[in-house]
Amino acid sequence: MGRPRGFDETEVIAAAAALFANRAYDGVSVDDLVTHLGVHRNSLYKTFGSKRGLYLAALRWHVKHQVQPLISEVGAARDIDEAVRGTLAAHNDDVGALDLLLMAATERAPVDEEVRTEVSAALHALDRAVSTVLTGTTSDNGDQPAPALAEALTSALIGLRLRARATASPTESDLAGAALARHLGPA
Amino acid sequence: MAHLHADGDTLVVEIEGLDKLWALKSRLTIPLANIRGATADPGMIRTPKGIRAPGSHLPGVITAGTFHIDGERVFWDVRDPAKAVVIELADERYARLVIQVDDPRSTVDLVESLITRT
Repeated sequence: MGRPRGFDETEVIAAAAALFANRAYDGVSVDDLVTHLGVHRNSLYKTFGSKRGLYLAALRWHVKHQVQPLISEVGAARDIDEAVRGTLAAHNDDVGALDLLLMAATERAPVDEEVRTEVSAALHALDRAVSTVLTGTTSDNGDQPAPALAEALTSALIGLRLRARATASPTESDLAGAALARHLGPA
Repeated sequence: MAHLHADGDTLVVEIEGLDKLWALKSRLTIPLANIRGATADPGMIRTPKGIRAPGSHLPGVITAGTFHIDGERVFWDVRDPAKAVVIELADERYARLVIQVDDPRSTVDLVESLITRT
């Protein structure tokens, strides 16, 4: 029973993702959500159940529509240099393709099991994409890089993104990323 | 003021003190499967509450009892809006509960962890 919701659910979830990407979870009040999303409080509760329900929907939307395309791009890169640049270049657009994921990883994943599951799955997908590229670049001698190497590289890339975001200096991260790629790339 | 605790597969909401009188209710028992989530929401007090029946509503002092809005029944028991928690329900007499608790953050964590486990 109920009236039509009168709002586009996907649009609201995308707007919530943008809000949660830039502010701590506890720093986003229901007042903020009502104001920024333009949805009535009762509708918000009826549709998402709770602030956490909306947050999970936003995180899943972010992974599917912002992180996955980036992962596909990384997986399709010709070499590790291109993959590194692809991951880091994402800070140049204003969508912030990894920002909510990074926020979730540092803030909510340690205390919320469902968030942890989403974050782990996304990071592992990124590991696999990086691993594909690494395998491609070292296939000449038939050596398979350990998956751990891909994980280490993913972690380094995430660290660089975090620094780029924190210092507002993408150039430094680009240089660091290029150095990393040179080191790992074929001699 | 309300006190919450888990009892098997249910969440028990006990209304404490004189609020029992104002809210005309002392205890609500909700199956965990019918709980959709909990949110600390100090701003909830400013939403339109609809028509009260039965219960007590002295704006600025106490909002307690059953309120009807948009075809939904909402149970309120709030004196201090800063400590209000909204619990969204499904397939229950009430669409949601708005109750005042001692520690909103730990109440939200408790409810969310109970329903995540089920």
